[in-house]
Amino acid sequence: MRPPETRTARPARPRTWPATLGLLSGPLLWLTLFFVLPIVIVAAYSVGILKLFPTDTSSAFHDWSRLLTGDSIYLGLFWKSMRVSLIVSVTCVVVAYPVAYFLALGARKRKYVLLLVIIAPFLTSYLLRVLAWKVILGDAGVINSFLFWTGLRGSDDPVQWLIYSQFTVMLVLAYVWVPFVALPMFVTLENLDHSLLEASADLGASRWRTFLRVTLPLSGSGVLAAFVFVFIPTIGEFVTPLLVGGTRGYLYGNAVSDLFTQGLDWQAGSVLSLFLLAVVAVLMAIFARFLQVRSVSA
Amino acid sequence: MTSDVANSRVALTGLRVFYALLVLFLYAPILLLAIFSFNDNPTPAFPLERFTMRWYQQFLSNPQLIGSLRNSLVVASISSVIAVALGLAGSFLLVRRRFVGKSAVSALMLSPLVIPYLVFGIALLILFSAVDEFLTNTMGVYIGLGLHAVVVGHVVVSLPYTILTIVPRLERMNISLEEAARDLGAGPAQTLRRVTLPLLVPSIVSSFLIAFTLSFDEFAIASFLTARELTWPVYLFAQLRFPVLLPQLIAVSVIVMVLSIAVVVATEALRQRAERRLDLAPPA
Repeated sequence: MRPPETRTARPARPRTWPATLGLLSGPLLWLTLFFVLPIVIVAAYSVGILKLFPTDTSSAFHDWSRLLTGDSIYLGLFWKSMRVSLIVSVTCVVVAYPVAYFLALGARKRKYVLLLVIIAPFLTSYLLRVLAWKVILGDAGVINSFLFWTGLRGSDDPVQWLIYSQFTVMLVLAYVWVPFVALPMFVTLENLDHSLLEASADLGASRWRTFLRVTLPLSGSGVLAAFVFVFIPTIGEFVTPLLVGGTRGYLYGNAVSDLFTQGLDWQAGSVLSLFLLAVVAVLMAIFARFLQVRSVSA
Repeated sequence: MTSDVANSRVALTGLRVFYALLVLFLYAPILLLAIFSFNDNPTPAFPLERFTMRWYQQFLSNPQLIGSLRNSLVVASISSVIAVALGLAGSFLLVRRRFVGKSAVSALMLSPLVIPYLVFGIALLILFSAVDEFLTNTMGVYIGLGLHAVVVGHVVVSLPYTILTIVPRLERMNISLEEAARDLGAGPAQTLRRVTLPLLVPSIVSSFLIAFTLSFDEFAIASFLTARELTWPVYLFAQLRFPVLLPQLIAVSVIVMVLSIAVVVATEALRQRAERRLDLAPPA
């Protein structure tokens, strides 16, 4: 209940237009110049309207058709990245849900502290956490040296599939994202109307039945949001594969990055980047319908 | 008291165990890094040797490493200040103003949240290259890549976070305080300076720290935009190919990690305390 004296701001009247324009100009100008414009330029570059190097062609629809008809390796790499992202996202959600549930409905007094403990690793450096796994999983790394030391394996026989494989990439990415994923699910579960759960119990449903038929469905939007928050960024992931993926863990993002830093075919790289952006935009549009995204301020 | 599974003692115990195991899993690699940073062995492996502080001393005499840390501090500071300033403007715009196309503007200001940093880094690379191409052909000048480009990119990706931090606070703020100031004769600028902004300080500080942490640790965008001066993540990444430097890098990483956790925890605690004191009526 708000006390009667508390009021929040009403939208301003038209005579404050100059102030509005002034406020608008800062962030909008920056974003237009440094966010919208670069993307437009990439699009123009990818179809050959813009040229940067002497070797750039102006019929880069060629690159686009190669990508989309699967004439090159890139489409296959793209589906590989989608698959990896899907596995990582599902794993993160499945692992984090019990924790979110426990904190929202089970823990009572110190739930926010316990939540912070789970989230804190996500706030430390991403690169460092990947580095930690590189140190742990290597052929002479922590796990293998431990196995040698305790005699469980000979020192000429390290466990090799631990690193530089698709498994490594998925494990490290899941490790990185699980803390982040717990938060949206926790928020949804915490905001659940407990009276609905009580009503279910009053109507005779067992605890498990209540959970499966009431709690779980009601937390669906949090679960979906968590899934989307991991899935979409991970499609374009290239840093983890670069550090611990090797050749088997090579993903679409690596192909794009290499076209700029190794292959020096910027036009093909732009085409691939734009394709990724388009996919992300489409996915966001689809999920936004499901998630009923509100604007920031009503 | 909930009425579903969490009501059962068995389930609760199971959940507690699961929570503990997950915390263990999440912190073990970090703790292992910390342990090996004190290990007297140039390769991080078992068995453990003697305790040593030499890796911590060694990195202090590595000018490139220190230089990259300094660069990251500068880039993070500058980009965070800009991001918070722009975020404040954007937040006031979204909360206090009504105008045509507001939802589009709102979407635009939040859209950097969903762009893959790979794509955005590349887009900025191409932007700066195109601008340089134009400048070289017309005026014979040249901007080039470098830390300034990294600052630009970091402001863009930090902006949604600053807005998302400040907007809720602004929405909940009691307008009567500002109206009282106006009634007492304060002009709009004075009200802003002496009433509104001080009330917003906790969220301003929070958003600054979020932007700072984001920028300091950001690798993907920076990797495309740095030239001779590297940021810390870019430097770290480049050196990971040389095993001899690994212990120093681990030592610095441990310091950075501990500092960032400490700062986050401290800020969150302070912010909650400050918000409780600044609110005349706590939110419903």
